[in-house]
Amino acid sequence: MSKQERIKILYVDDEINNLHGFKASFRLDYNVFIANNTVEAADILNNHPDIRVIFCDQRMPDKTGVEFFGEIRGQHPHPVRMLLTGYTDIESVIDAINMGHIFRYIKKPWTDADIRSAVDEGNKFYLANSMLAIKNEELQKAYNELDKFAYSVTHDMRGPLLSILGAVDVAQNIDDIGEIREMLGLMELSVKKLDNFIQNIHDYYNLKRGDLQITDIDFNKVITDQEDIYRITAKMNNIDFKTDVQQNEPFRCDEMSMKVILNNLLSNAFKYQKKNNSDKFVHLNVSIDKGLAHIQVKDNGIGIHENHIGEIFNMFFRATSEEVGSGFGLYNVKDALLKLNGEIKVDSVIDGGTTFSVTIPSK
Amino acid sequence: MTQQKLHFIVIDDSKLDCFIAEKIIRNTGMSESIRSFVDAKEALEHIKNNQATDATIKTILIVDIQMPVMNGFEFVEAFEQLPEEIQKDYTIYVLSSSINESDLNRVRNYKSVKHFLNKPLTSNTLSALVELV
Repeated sequence: MSKQERIKILYVDDEINNLHGFKASFRLDYNVFIANNTVEAADILNNHPDIRVIFCDQRMPDKTGVEFFGEIRGQHPHPVRMLLTGYTDIESVIDAINMGHIFRYIKKPWTDADIRSAVDEGNKFYLANSMLAIKNEELQKAYNELDKFAYSVTHDMRGPLLSILGAVDVAQNIDDIGEIREMLGLMELSVKKLDNFIQNIHDYYNLKRGDLQITDIDFNKVITDQEDIYRITAKMNNIDFKTDVQQNEPFRCDEMSMKVILNNLLSNAFKYQKKNNSDKFVHLNVSIDKGLAHIQVKDNGIGIHENHIGEIFNMFFRATSEEVGSGFGLYNVKDALLKLNGEIKVDSVIDGGTTFSVTIPSK
Repeated sequence: MTQQKLHFIVIDDSKLDCFIAEKIIRNTGMSESIRSFVDAKEALEHIKNNQATDATIKTILIVDIQMPVMNGFEFVEAFEQLPEEIQKDYTIYVLSSSINESDLNRVRNYKSVKHFLNKPLTSNTLSALVELV
């Protein structure tokens, strides 16, 4: 174990000689903290919450080791607690173990091997518990998202279907072909909205559950693919679409995540344009420099209100009713970036346009 | 039946739903006027600034729940802050695809909301609703 990774342990005893002996024996293997009384011990714990194992003498003048452990347990539940004591205290040891105050006890006088094995076991227990805490947190997050998800499904998936159902009902009593066409156009939008939502769910699960598959990324190819996707949209809506790629070094990344990021940023840039603007543009710049990919997507569209900038990456948040959106796209972008250790910055001016700047390190 | 004509305002972020509602309302022949808004904030501004000239004609508000920027709940809460003399000219119906219990309960707790309607709006529901006013 390297010096930085030495695990932190604390030894509390009222006998100075014991403390020094303990430190001398273990200071090379562990990061040893010693305390002469329980007040000092509590101070050390507050300053070093990452202490993993605590040894405490049972018989001390101010309080017993069991009492001390009982007190600190609430505030410092994570360090593993070990009691040092002679055979005469066996009754209190049994009580302490049964009440859950201590993990195990070590009889005095201890041997080096006793302590080493105790630290070893304690550390394993500590790691397993920390793992469990992390997993629990992840699980809680997943539950919360599932709740949100189930709620939105009624709106985002049922909504477009019910719109179409309503339209079909109304259309049966309309004879005017012009009106029917107008309704068909709106129905098409509803179908697209639903389809878009389903594609986003697909991305969401791929990002959440899938492992990253790191390969060499040729940005020229990735961007050409994106150009193919958006060329028609650009032409139809009279939007000037320019791309520029500067890649002179290899870049390794998960291609799927990269596509989710580019695709969502670009589709937003195309979607949230000002309808009557005569020089609409979307510019995509990619440059790779010293193992960092800088991606910039710039448009001169409707912009995002500053009050909403903080919320646009939240699940199901939509800042405008201007266009059909699922409120899922930027959430997926943020999620992908989290996995890639990337960052995203937004600059936006209402009616001036929006620029998203993404930085991703090569893997 | 000598039913009086009514004003209608539809608030829904889906253009198709606005369109459907307008069509159905027009078909009832009960409408003095119909306006639709895809943005609830704009609708609220409109209501604030256009006090009915003829107070004998009531206005029916049909409001969706899930909308971006200002949702149906926020709209109703803002509406209930308006002066009483404005509020009395309106009857609010909440229209939604939500089948979420807590949404329904929340709707029931607003004093200004007359009824909760399920999407899609149909001519039958609308005729029933108009007779209730």
